[in-house]
Amino acid sequence: MNTLTLIKREIKLSIRNFGLILSYSSFFLLSLLIFTFGVGPDLKQLNTVYIPIIWVIMLFAIILVSDNFLLSDFQDGSLRELQFLGYSEESIIISKTVVMYLVLITPHFFLIPIFSIFYNMNFNDLFQLSLDIFIGMPSLILISLIASLLTIQIKRNKVLQFIIIMPFYVPIIVFTTSNYDGILYSSFELNKILILIGFFLITLPITLLLGKLILNEINK
Amino acid sequence: MIFKFANPNKFLRISKFLFPYFNVFFLISFVYGLYLSFFNSPPDYLQGETVRIMYIHVPCAWFSLMLYSSIAICGFFSLVFRHTLADIAIRAIAPLGACFTIATLITGSIWGKPTWGTWWVWDARLTSELVLLFLYVGIISLSNAFESKSKGDKYAAMLSLVGIINLPIIKWSVDWWNTLHQPASISKFSSPSIDTVMLIPLFVMTLSFLFLSLNIIIIRIKSEILQRKIDILNSSKIN
Repeated sequence: MNTLTLIKREIKLSIRNFGLILSYSSFFLLSLLIFTFGVGPDLKQLNTVYIPIIWVIMLFAIILVSDNFLLSDFQDGSLRELQFLGYSEESIIISKTVVMYLVLITPHFFLIPIFSIFYNMNFNDLFQLSLDIFIGMPSLILISLIASLLTIQIKRNKVLQFIIIMPFYVPIIVFTTSNYDGILYSSFELNKILILIGFFLITLPITLLLGKLILNEINK
Repeated sequence: MIFKFANPNKFLRISKFLFPYFNVFFLISFVYGLYLSFFNSPPDYLQGETVRIMYIHVPCAWFSLMLYSSIAICGFFSLVFRHTLADIAIRAIAPLGACFTIATLITGSIWGKPTWGTWWVWDARLTSELVLLFLYVGIISLSNAFESKSKGDKYAAMLSLVGIINLPIIKWSVDWWNTLHQPASISKFSSPSIDTVMLIPLFVMTLSFLFLSLNIIIIRIKSEILQRKIDILNSSKIN
């Protein structure tokens, strides 16, 4: 029940701060455009790099935006207040993750199919990409939230967030883009989905536990 | 038992006693290991003399992983038992681990050129080692990013614990992704596929790296403890 109240609060705040959602989507689309200019107009080439590009852009966008979801709450004291009111640290993190997913990722299920037309994507690849985003993004959001929490008190070095977070993104990026030969390449995509679910199941308890520890440390 | 010896003052006393012995052990094993590696082990039938780089590369790779595991263990002790020495150990071990990782990557590249025909491939194990380097960089940067050392220590401990998830991925990456890198030659669960003539120098070199690591860690922990004592004295002077 507590978590639901927090989710409602976060959704309200996100709707009020609609500019952030707009900036996120604009950043996504503009980056895609820049990559396109970089790679060149050859559709065949663009088609091969389209999926990795999407994942890289989403990753950067999530890292940049996750800070906004926490920083304002930290600066105006809401984070401390929520804990004081009795909301558990886990529910704070879960609510932020759910809302980030709903507000930032969901629009991509409409945006990506539209843009995929420009990159000559076939329906099967598009379906697979959407499924990967659907399953893979919660892990990415959880990790980026933890990195934001870790660096929330650092004013000077924000690049540190990227340094901390990158190693944890690698397995997810590897499995979602399937760049490597071997077990994934030769077998059905179902393996990939199961691995992504596995990553999420590993990430969830660890990030919740870590988030609780960091939130307690922040409010000391 | 661990807590009995993990007291900073007791650590200083014990390390003072052990340090010269470790130095001697390191020198003996290093010289003997180099002799075995260069003069008492045969060249590989396929790779020729270049195989000798293995005696540096493999121990470096083992220690890059082992030191990360020890950081994670320290992280656990720091978070669960709030032990100061564990915090200090993380600060002391992380740069050494990063150095071993860099050494692994460099020696691997030098070995890769004549063997694979290229300095670098985006092979699973190489990439994982590079990722490990970034994990080390993250821990080092995070522990130094805060004005309060204790805060940096806590966060670095947390990060190291999460990063430990990456270690099994590195370990089994060769099996997961069937790439250029050879599978593990020395395994606990099966008989090693490497000949004893090569295995002995490898173990002697590993032993020498172990003593070298212990020496460096002792020096770094010692200086960190002394630095903290100076900080406390300085802050009490200001107050």
